[in-house]
Amino acid sequence: MNKFSRRSFLRTSGLVAAGITGSLAMPGLIRPSLAQNGSVKLGCLFSSSGTMANIEGRLNDVVKMAAAELNAAGGVLGKTVEVIVSDPASDWPLYAQTGRQMLQQEKVAALFGCWTSVSRKSVLPVVEQDDGLLFYPLHFEGDENSKNVVYVNSPPASSVLPAVDYLMSEDGVSAKRFFLLGSDYVWPRTINKQLKGYFASKGIEPAAIREEYVPFGFSNFQTLVNQIREFADGTGGQPVVILTTVGNSIPDFFREFANQGILATDVPVLGLDALEADFEGLDTAALVGHLNCWAYLQAVEAPENDKFKADWAAYVGANNVPYRPDVVIDPMVSAYDSVKLWAMAAEKAGNFDVPEVRSAFAGIGFKDPSGYDIAMTADNNYVSRGVFIGSLNAQQSFDILWQSEGTPKPEPFSTFG
Amino acid sequence: MQKFLDRWGRLAAAVFLIAVAGFSGAARAQGTDAAALDRPGFVAGLCGGAGPMAQAIAGGLESLAAASPEDVTWMAGIVAALGARQLRCVEPGGLILTAGAATDAVTGATVSPPGSPRTPVLNLRSRGAVENLEAALTLLSSRDAPSRQRALALLSRRPDAVPPTVFARATDLAATTAERDAIAELSVIAALSSPDMPARLAAIAGLAAEPNRRTLLRLETLREDPAYGTDTAFRDTVDAAIADSSFWVKLSSVLSVAYNGISYASILFIAALGLAVIFGLMGVINLAQGEFIMLGAYTAFMVQEGVRSVAPGLIDFYLIIAVPFVFLVTALLGILVEATIVRHLYRRPLMTLLATWAVSLFLINLVRVTFGTQNLQFVTPSYVTGGFTLVGDFIVTYNRLFAIVFAAAVLALAWFVLQRTGLGLNIRTVTQNRDMAGCIGIPTRRVDRLAFGLGSGLAGLAGLALAPIYNVNPLMGTNFIIESFMVVVLGGVGTIGGTLIASLGIGQINVMIEPLYGAVAAKVIVLLLIIAFIQWRPEGLFPAPGRRK
Repeated sequence: MNKFSRRSFLRTSGLVAAGITGSLAMPGLIRPSLAQNGSVKLGCLFSSSGTMANIEGRLNDVVKMAAAELNAAGGVLGKTVEVIVSDPASDWPLYAQTGRQMLQQEKVAALFGCWTSVSRKSVLPVVEQDDGLLFYPLHFEGDENSKNVVYVNSPPASSVLPAVDYLMSEDGVSAKRFFLLGSDYVWPRTINKQLKGYFASKGIEPAAIREEYVPFGFSNFQTLVNQIREFADGTGGQPVVILTTVGNSIPDFFREFANQGILATDVPVLGLDALEADFEGLDTAALVGHLNCWAYLQAVEAPENDKFKADWAAYVGANNVPYRPDVVIDPMVSAYDSVKLWAMAAEKAGNFDVPEVRSAFAGIGFKDPSGYDIAMTADNNYVSRGVFIGSLNAQQSFDILWQSEGTPKPEPFSTFG
Repeated sequence: MQKFLDRWGRLAAAVFLIAVAGFSGAARAQGTDAAALDRPGFVAGLCGGAGPMAQAIAGGLESLAAASPEDVTWMAGIVAALGARQLRCVEPGGLILTAGAATDAVTGATVSPPGSPRTPVLNLRSRGAVENLEAALTLLSSRDAPSRQRALALLSRRPDAVPPTVFARATDLAATTAERDAIAELSVIAALSSPDMPARLAAIAGLAAEPNRRTLLRLETLREDPAYGTDTAFRDTVDAAIADSSFWVKLSSVLSVAYNGISYASILFIAALGLAVIFGLMGVINLAQGEFIMLGAYTAFMVQEGVRSVAPGLIDFYLIIAVPFVFLVTALLGILVEATIVRHLYRRPLMTLLATWAVSLFLINLVRVTFGTQNLQFVTPSYVTGGFTLVGDFIVTYNRLFAIVFAAAVLALAWFVLQRTGLGLNIRTVTQNRDMAGCIGIPTRRVDRLAFGLGSGLAGLAGLALAPIYNVNPLMGTNFIIESFMVVVLGGVGTIGGTLIASLGIGQINVMIEPLYGAVAAKVIVLLLIIAFIQWRPEGLFPAPGRRK
């Protein structure tokens, strides 16, 4: 039964190989949502399968919703906006491949996409070679400044550092010791390097900092939560956890954390990637008080936010989109901002060519759903955004604990680490 | 250990009752001339932003020792409303909003709810203080036993945050002797720095009765105390308490490593068992195994929804109710897959790999289209929520305990079916020699089908056991397939015993390496160890008897 000839082995392995390449190429197929003459194309690079599907997939629909809004107002420069979606299947090299295809074959005017830093890093050479434009909607580790990428969300100096400052303040918990726990890739490692530099500048001893990484998609947090408890029981002041795990490792971590009986008032967790959507399916009553920091939180009280939330709920209802109508997360707002910023720049440039759109960035901005006047300058492709620190409540969403006075000027490169 | 605790516990309690009686006398004397609580001031403080809120809460806690019972009840109501986000701030004062009705927070009079009142948000500083205040209020005002238990458990985290006078008052109100003892133990911390030496010694003994890292730390700081150098009785007591506590702390960390290892092993085992049956006994490389696990979890979800609509009272027991359903659904699905696809490929093992992979992709997408990609909302029954402290810092979490017990039950079931039933005998016969088994009249085709069904059903049960621990979404199965193969290959293809030993080994090694070299290195090291082992013994730990192929 287990015997097979060399010929059958070759034939089967050939089939397997074909199957593998076929299935990888298949999600890469690009699906234009509508084809029209006199239209301008926008490309989406968001995975709707693989590990990132649940949170990243909804950004495709946000871009479509924003485009529909532009079209309803008469399009951009008189042209209808056409959105082209793809599925890079959470497979990082496929982002580059799909991005190249969109730029070269579909001639998209701009790309909107990527969630993890790995995927952005793999698309970066493509947009630089073809002089394309990528709008990146996630807050991220900074230390990068490409003229071909618009960094719509905040670099660490405008998001992570204020949150850490808050933790160290009296209104936070006067944090003195830090357990840095992240997934093992670019963003957690860079953030933690910068944080360690920042802590050193605040006079915190290296002994008060502990750094641990877990593999991508890791879920068995029992031992690590034990280590956190041991760390927390040591001397030297209030301990906190700064969590940079991504994807499904976030809910798995929080579930174990609550199960071992640790409250936010014992050891608070600052989840740098934790979003409302990560807590679906979790009983958050035992997790009340944990923190996150983003440029937008669902609880923002602003007419722009009310409109955005209503628009999303209506869009989900009308288009039978498989995501929750009542959950809006920061990257969704950032993706929406991206499309609006691109349209404003194109209108200002009077042209869809990347160099002219890029030179039109200086001075554009609008009041986005976060209630802040977001703005771009001529200095770089970063967008000035406000910052919120949220506190998890029993309804699986975040209350606003603190928000920035205005929109801090983004600093691409960190001076720490 | 129990005897030890009893001995010291009784002594501590006795001394503390005396100490506490003194305290409460003082508190009562103070209480007679205490002013009534400033109710409007308290509400205004809660509504006044971070600083005033923290002050109001701290002030509230201080005032508890002397507050009148009416004031305590009133404050308990306000604090509960604050925690439940029912307190709203208006100018001036505040109101409590419940299901459409609004009452004034200070007077309790019904008022008409205004347009958009502000909800005060707790920051971490005041949240901790509110937890303490709420627990103290519960001890002073509530007669509900479970919530008193919860309050005591909470106060035991930060006993020094509550004034001893409040503990003294709580002792007077204690419902049972056990509770009075528990409260007395909490006020131990205050007595540590008391000028009265017998009380100090008793406090040290009380601390040592609850050995964990925090009490050990507290005891160690006593070595800096001036009395340690001068008073031999004090020094001896401290040294003995430290020696004793550190023993229990060490023991508890050993126990918790063992428990973590076993619980991880039980997850590995339960995920690999179905694979061991199908891959081990039938030689079919079933790449859809992970998806049967996922479908098991989804079936459990469907059962949960069914129970919710038919008999909402039984919702806490849906995990148990779901067991037969999950097994039947996934087993039938497995039989369907076998009958339509796998049976054509028994003599082409590599083709089964490809075909079952296609099945897995199909199942993932089917579930994605039907249920969506989000994590499912499972009700977490009380028996899989939280945990209890066994000794020192060793916390036994109920969801892992459930997985261990469940894995043991499934092991017993699988062993029984394979070793003690006619079907099991037939499966083992077909495994050893398919052609010969056919010759003596065993219906090999039907045996294959039932074995595949059994393997799939076991995978489904794995999904049920994993639902309280991991996220349930269409992709959950892919996480388990690699680890399951590692376990099955290491254990020796086809033996349940091998699967058990292999999962225990991998689980324990993983847990021991993780704290030393990190989680990333642990995965790599375990993989390298397995590769090395397979090089040395290609048939795994327990090879099936017979000639080497």
